[in-house]
Amino acid sequence: MNVKAANPLERYGAGAILPIVLLLAWQVVGAALHSPRTPLPSRIVAAAVTLVASGDLPMAILQSLGRVFAGFVVAALIAIPLGLAMGNSRAVERNVDPVVETFRPIAAIAILPLAILWLGTGTAAAVMIVAYAAFFPMIVNTVAGARNVNPTLLQVAATMGLKRVTIIRTVVVPAALPSIGVGLRIALGVGWTAIVAAELAVGAKAGGGGSGGIGQMMFVFYAYSIELNRIIVCMIAVGLVALLLDRLLRAAMRALMPWART
Amino acid sequence: MTAAAKLRLAGVNKRFAVAGAPDTIALADFTLDVRQGEFLVIVGPSGCGKTTVLNLLAGLDTPSGGTVSIDDRVITAPGPDRGVMFQDYALFPWQTVRGNVEFGLRYGPAGNALDAAARNERVRRTIELVGLTGAEQKYPSQLSGGMRQRVALARLMANEPEVLLMDEPLAALDAQTRIILQDELLRIWGQDRPASQRRTVVFITHAIDEAVFLADRIAVMTTHPGRLKALIDVPLPRPRGDATRALPEFQALTQHIWSLIRDEAYRATVT
Amino acid sequence: MTQASHPRLVATFIYVRTMTVFVAIWALVAWLTANPILLPSPLTVLGAAYDLARDLELFQHAGISLGRMVISIGIASALAIPLGLAMGLSRRFERIVDPTIEVLRPISGIAWIPLALFIFGIGDALPVFIMTYAAFFPILLGTVGGVRAVDQRLVDAARTMGIPQRTIVTRVVIPAALPSLLVALRLGVALSWTAVVAAELIGAPSGLGYAVEWYRELLMTPQVMSFIAMIGVIGYVCDAGVRWMNRRFAPWAQALR
Repeated sequence: MNVKAANPLERYGAGAILPIVLLLAWQVVGAALHSPRTPLPSRIVAAAVTLVASGDLPMAILQSLGRVFAGFVVAALIAIPLGLAMGNSRAVERNVDPVVETFRPIAAIAILPLAILWLGTGTAAAVMIVAYAAFFPMIVNTVAGARNVNPTLLQVAATMGLKRVTIIRTVVVPAALPSIGVGLRIALGVGWTAIVAAELAVGAKAGGGGSGGIGQMMFVFYAYSIELNRIIVCMIAVGLVALLLDRLLRAAMRALMPWART
Repeated sequence: MTAAAKLRLAGVNKRFAVAGAPDTIALADFTLDVRQGEFLVIVGPSGCGKTTVLNLLAGLDTPSGGTVSIDDRVITAPGPDRGVMFQDYALFPWQTVRGNVEFGLRYGPAGNALDAAARNERVRRTIELVGLTGAEQKYPSQLSGGMRQRVALARLMANEPEVLLMDEPLAALDAQTRIILQDELLRIWGQDRPASQRRTVVFITHAIDEAVFLADRIAVMTTHPGRLKALIDVPLPRPRGDATRALPEFQALTQHIWSLIRDEAYRATVT
Repeated sequence: MTQASHPRLVATFIYVRTMTVFVAIWALVAWLTANPILLPSPLTVLGAAYDLARDLELFQHAGISLGRMVISIGIASALAIPLGLAMGLSRRFERIVDPTIEVLRPISGIAWIPLALFIFGIGDALPVFIMTYAAFFPILLGTVGGVRAVDQRLVDAARTMGIPQRTIVTRVVIPAALPSLLVALRLGVALSWTAVVAAELIGAPSGLGYAVEWYRELLMTPQVMSFIAMIGVIGYVCDAGVRWMNRRFAPWAQALR
């Protein structure tokens, strides 16, 4: 544990110097170029205000988030029960694991053309991609959580005469929850990245057609209006949402599992 | 008449800053002389500052007040003249036994005067001294606890330090291995040689019987803040061995020291 | 069943058995849907893959993608490892640099694609840029974590031998941090390989991602699946490669797993 700097201003002040200096340098050098298209911090802020005020940005984010949650739920409904089954039964694990491990190295975005082939360039394909992407971290962590239950805990339950199913319900699942939570957290991050990628790719392929979402909005700004400042606003929004989702999920986990160390 | 002290702590204070709380005072007005060639053992309850004393003598830390010196020179930094053995050995996992033992000679000042042949010879002799001949190519992860302890000892002995500082080196071993290694430690230290030819040892332990078995003198510390409570001579004859433990003087000394520490040890279990 | 004596044989057998079942189900569904564009039969896919391999097209694209990844990992490591060392060793330096990094980190490499498209255009530079960016942060964070996790006692032990600070960094800190670094490298490779597909799909004239998309537009599903399979194979091989490096260069860490 590091001995903290006595003064919080000193602690954060030093860190803020570099970004501020970089931003100022950017603004000054960029403005000197006298080109209307150059992205500048000032223009980015202006673009952000416009996009938020018009509701375009919030709408796009909500659209993307909706797809992420849909895919997330689909993945969780399959991955968590399956993962628990695999964690508790060697037979199930032996038979399912090869398939999982064969597909795990194939990134979700590689499946996108297949998804478009099957489901068209709309929301369905995007949701499928998110579900695919989220599935693997969820199942891997669920299996690990179920398998890594301290065997002594299981012995304690057995010596109290509990039946196997009860033991799974009352010992294995709670003990595996922190791991499952980690899997969910990773899956959320992966899913968010996947939806942006999917919407970008779909936007590129469908010629900016109506799929919506922030990825597609970014592509439109590139391909049709070359609004670099707006692209950057979207990038920042993508990052902020990713951070926010992670923090929210962590807080939820802490609230639900006060006994676990994150 | 006081023999010239090899190591001296004079009026040492040590405080640690803690975020969001008043400073912790680890040592208050601590004064102790360690004589040349003696085996000094420090005992005390947990958290009484024993490790702090060792860190100050090693030069890994500096006092907030008072002085710490060797041969009347103030200690400001660590160095090979004061070899340290840590509680969990701190062996380099990526080096073999040989690599660990020769580390200080290869990369540090202790090996400056030696050419490769002389270095290899010293490494070989040191490994032989601690009884590990034949295990040179093994990695720490392949060794038992007792063997790791020997490697750690060899690593610091290879630098031929004047002083050995040991922080509970036998704590991680099971009781039987401990006894064997206590004997080995005394042998390697050279307990049957005169004081002027022996290295000075400052040894920390929790175990009182271990302290009495090994020491020439025992420094008993108290906690909150860390102070020297008593300095006790151990006149048991050398060389010491299994028979020593059966002596009535051994039992008496052990009981006496325990009576000094007992209350604080009890308090530590309930707070 | 002599499982204990031939665990590897048993595992392989079960793998083959499971995949056979999987392929059989696939063949059945393909036969039932009878739409070769939607779901070609396993045999058709195998045939397409064979043709692509024989024409070397499969390997050409694979080689291009792989080459891009190697370059990206190289650049990312060259930047991230020294920076990570500096950050791990000096709290002050870390405090200055860290907020900037934490601001950039959540913006995934993929979000950079439109901007990068504008800067680099379609070509080789775009995938390499995106992949480098994707690999940079895991490698950096892993290096910092690895350096910080170095047992302080090891450094103290070296200090008590009087070893100078710079030697401590090269002979103690770096070897001790090596296992963590290789784990970080593994993650960097994985993320970089994921980014390759997205980047090539959108912004490159060659490579596996491009090939997948090219054949999709032609509605040649067997070829699409062949290239997707290739993506998976190479991803697995690269991961195995880094795991080998871990065993070879940091064998002592294996005992801790």
